[in-house]
Amino acid sequence: MLVAHGDQTAFEELYGAVSGPVYGLVRRVVRDPAQSEEVAQEVLLELWRSAARFDPERGSALAWILTLAHRRAVDRVRSARAASERDQRVGRRAYGPAFDQVAEAVEAGLERDWVRRCLDGLTQLQRQSVTLAYYEGYTYREVAQRLSVPLGTVKTRMRDGLTRLRECLGRAI
Amino acid sequence: MRRDLHSLAAPYALDALDGRERRRFERHLGRCERCAGEVRALREDAVRLAWSAAAPAPPALRERVLTAVRTTPQETPRAEAAWQQSRARGSAHPSRARALFVPFATATAAAALVVAALFGVQLDRAQDRLDQERAAAHEIARVLSAPDARSTGQQDAQGRGINVVASASLHRAVVTVTGLGAPPGDRVHQLWAVGKSGTPRSLGVLDGDTPKVVGGLNTSATSLAVTTEPAGGSPQPTSAPLVQLALKSVGFGE
Repeated sequence: MLVAHGDQTAFEELYGAVSGPVYGLVRRVVRDPAQSEEVAQEVLLELWRSAARFDPERGSALAWILTLAHRRAVDRVRSARAASERDQRVGRRAYGPAFDQVAEAVEAGLERDWVRRCLDGLTQLQRQSVTLAYYEGYTYREVAQRLSVPLGTVKTRMRDGLTRLRECLGRAI
Repeated sequence: MRRDLHSLAAPYALDALDGRERRRFERHLGRCERCAGEVRALREDAVRLAWSAAAPAPPALRERVLTAVRTTPQETPRAEAAWQQSRARGSAHPSRARALFVPFATATAAAALVVAALFGVQLDRAQDRLDQERAAAHEIARVLSAPDARSTGQQDAQGRGINVVASASLHRAVVTVTGLGAPPGDRVHQLWAVGKSGTPRSLGVLDGDTPKVVGGLNTSATSLAVTTEPAGGSPQPTSAPLVQLALKSVGFGE
């Protein structure tokens, strides 16, 4: 139990370091504050439960954590969309622009400025392909439909967009 | 068909596949070494997008999560393996197999993860080292949570790099170096704060890739540098810097 207690202290450190990125990401994708909190809580608890599953061979810890958070957020927003379409209450909800009030509430940060700047450096199609998928939770098929471009184009733009982001951010940090 | 699957790496990294395609691509990933590497890299890119969305979590969330943690057991790789074995044997009591291994378990999973998360390094599991890392984790958390915390870093062509998280208001920084290797003989790597004028100030000797917490960092410091020095360190650098990092972007050097 002593050991477990020590681990709890470590988890508090982890919470301090990643709760902001996890919650912010979930909130960006899910939008609804109450649901975002629910999903973020699930993700943080899952980190605690499955910390031992983290495998450094497969990438950085932050990538692992934020990938998990993103996956859960996307699952939630998709099932909510599917439900609302089933109910035919809402055909297609109007989701705001990629950078909304959630982002505004965030304290200033160098990383965010750079990401924004680097996103601005993409072509419009690259940026839309990447942000509709990552921040709005659309599948690449849905993105292709919304942007009225072929599937192959969307896949290529996603790859090119991410690669250009990497180059741009690599220079920044 | 395989070409078609390859082209799904970027949508996969963005979580832009539906469940069916995701599963199909994951099966392919298990067989394709190259794709796994590519997905790993694209995931790291996607995660940069996540960072830019960071927002303070509601205070109530912390209490709820930490309360839940106190009553939630952790999985362990051993327990998981045991559980899978018992499942394979058709055992009706997987939870007993799991419980058996819990005491070994919880040793360092979260602690290792926090250190990996904060420093991007995998932890040496030795307990004294762990305590050190935890203390450093606490320090870095303190620096990170400063409103003016900034990070910067760089790496040269030989893979020698230096990274810093710094807060000008706290006059504190956490510094890590990578790729320097062990200094020759009984020599050491020493960290310096370099100002516009005057002589470099020693920030102490580095211990491998263990993060170095630096206090009392003067805001007039324009860069950090690492040199190789005789055992115990020198009052002034006696060799050219191995790596050097400008501090302007983290709010120093004014």
